[in-house]
Amino acid sequence: MKFKTPKFSIKSFLSSPVASLLCRLVLGAVFLVASIDKILDTNGFITSILNYKVIGSTFATLTATFLPWLELFCGVCLILGIYPRASSILISIMLFAFTILVASALIRGLDISCGCFSQDPSAEKIGYQKIAENLILLALGLYLIVTKDYGPSVSNFMLGSITTEYY
Amino acid sequence: MKILIINIRILREIVILVTLSFLAGFSYTFVTKKGFFSNKEDNRILEIINLEKAKELHFSKKAIFIDSRHEFEYNMGHIEDAINIPLSRFNEYKNKLEEIPKSNILVVYCDGTECNSSFELGAKLFDSGYKNVRIFYGGWEEWKKNKLPTIPKN
Repeated sequence: MKFKTPKFSIKSFLSSPVASLLCRLVLGAVFLVASIDKILDTNGFITSILNYKVIGSTFATLTATFLPWLELFCGVCLILGIYPRASSILISIMLFAFTILVASALIRGLDISCGCFSQDPSAEKIGYQKIAENLILLALGLYLIVTKDYGPSVSNFMLGSITTEYY
Repeated sequence: MKILIINIRILREIVILVTLSFLAGFSYTFVTKKGFFSNKEDNRILEIINLEKAKELHFSKKAIFIDSRHEFEYNMGHIEDAINIPLSRFNEYKNKLEEIPKSNILVVYCDGTECNSSFELGAKLFDSGYKNVRIFYGGWEEWKKNKLPTIPKN
């Protein structure tokens, strides 16, 4: 009797709902965690934004008011599988902007803290490692934009089907 | 047509997420009195000042200048009457603050536009109770370039 071993290929894995679910959970968790300190320490986050010396205090305050909540909602939505494509698009836009911001600060020679996960001025300085981290997360975000099957989601469990599919 | 409908669906989802974030953000900051709704006294938004304002505060003796650079850089040259509180050794040096009333205006500076220790020290000073902290953005380089009073003398 001959047994056929199932073939594993990266392509088939990437198109499987398991891969999308893993990406959703990782990206969602990162954004959920990143939003908490920014929400709790709004004024610290304003200072972190001002440290990049790109925008003035009014626009920095506006950004600090809504951006952490956008991160939180997108993170929660990705984890739960609600609006997965819209959340992925927004997260990818944010990651693209953060990467440009960090790169421009590095080019200008600024020695500042990232303000990504903690608003403590001495925590987590920006560097090329931060750009690499952002690019990896951006790759996950872009993958989630183009994927068709988002895997199990809360809304679909409630509706009786198993996966969220876009075409 | 199908693609168009899906795009409108995604656009609608994006609008919902962004709108929710604005509503949640403004409601939260309104309730907790943070950001736009914070009392100016508690709001740690450090005012950035230019050379003209720094000169005015220096010559009118209305402010105390604080140099956030390392001790050896301070010893090589600093703004006249400035005191040195290196950011990296804030805890050791903060006893210098004991004689300065909390209501005083503090102007913090570092090397110039490319350093950030003035912002970080400014935040620490603010959290220590000094609510009138200003950041002199041009810093030591701009001050020296304009031949303003320094120690040792220019």
